[in-house]
Amino acid sequence: MEIAFFIITALLTIGAAVAMVLSHNAVHSALWLVLNFFGVAVLYLLLNAPFLAMVQITVYAGAIMVLFLFVIMLLGSEQGQEEVNGLPWQTPVALVMGLLLVVMAGYALFFPGTPVPTTQTPNEIGAPDILARKLFSTYLLPFEITSVLLLVALIGAVVLTMKSREGDRV
Amino acid sequence: MLSNYAFIGIFAIAAITFPLLPLILSRFIRPRRPTPIKLSTYECGLEAMGDIWVQFKVQYYLYALAFVVFDIETIYLYPWAVAYGQLGLFALIEMAIFLLILVAGLVYAWRKGALEWI
Amino acid sequence: MVPTEYYVLLSTVLFTIGVIGVLTRRSALVVFMSVELMLNSANLALVAFSRQWNHVDGQILTFFVITVAAAEVAVGLALLVGIFRTRRTTNVDEVNTMRG
Repeated sequence: MEIAFFIITALLTIGAAVAMVLSHNAVHSALWLVLNFFGVAVLYLLLNAPFLAMVQITVYAGAIMVLFLFVIMLLGSEQGQEEVNGLPWQTPVALVMGLLLVVMAGYALFFPGTPVPTTQTPNEIGAPDILARKLFSTYLLPFEITSVLLLVALIGAVVLTMKSREGDRV
Repeated sequence: MLSNYAFIGIFAIAAITFPLLPLILSRFIRPRRPTPIKLSTYECGLEAMGDIWVQFKVQYYLYALAFVVFDIETIYLYPWAVAYGQLGLFALIEMAIFLLILVAGLVYAWRKGALEWI
Repeated sequence: MVPTEYYVLLSTVLFTIGVIGVLTRRSALVVFMSVELMLNSANLALVAFSRQWNHVDGQILTFFVITVAAAEVAVGLALLVGIFRTRRTTNVDEVNTMRG
């Protein structure tokens, strides 16, 4: 039952990812990516990480994709142009190398030299309070640095987009 | 484990089926006799001019940016609030520093005029 | 119980799709989205390992990855807007000089 659910979700996620790469309209790409993020969120639920699943939906599907869609609208006039690939040999080479990567990873995963220990029955490690206790003790410094990173990102983005203030405000 | 979330799944399926089913059904049931008047965009009023790709102002991007930063803030605030009773005063100070640094970013964007409506 | 190997294989497949997207697409926006896909697949592997070893560390690392991804998208898209203003294109092949 659970494995069937996993396979359906995995196929949905992979299909959305492929459609994201293939679609020619940037808005469609963004919407396929949202579907992909939802699939990953369901997989987080399967992996006993319910809080992370909600974070995935609020931050990725909610905030980051909104940013993407805004920029697609901002650069709107560029749409409709046909993509011209300057390096035609790049696509087949990329496909072959990607296939090689998957085959290698599959081989390394399913024919291991040392046996992987079987998964124990998991505890409720994904609950927010357990996360918080770890986050505010062991990972305190990374947490504080995170805020500095966000500050830098905000300032950087404001400086980059407000640059042409004196002249025309695009 | 999964059965805990079965309700959300059933709810999602119902929510998707509910609008889709009438659309699909009506596609098969309805008669199809198009005329130019029926195919016009509006029954009365002007035809839409130009492309649907209108350019947005860059200000919108900055709003979205501020939203993303504070969305990230909530994902740290939430577990902190849940476990607040077990964490004590130290965590309160830590979170205050975190919030102050982020508010500094907001104040910067504000002073720079990024949040002005034009 | 789905074995961890399956999740890691799925994560590899998603990562590879992201790599192929970065290599084959020319629109900088779609390249960016492919990078997001790659970050996401790494997150999936982290959470799977976190369950495998019954440690919460993997999930906390995922938090930081999500935060860094958000910061990266914010600055990256702002750069993209800047490039578009001066060059009127977001095709990664045409953006090949350092001068604005």
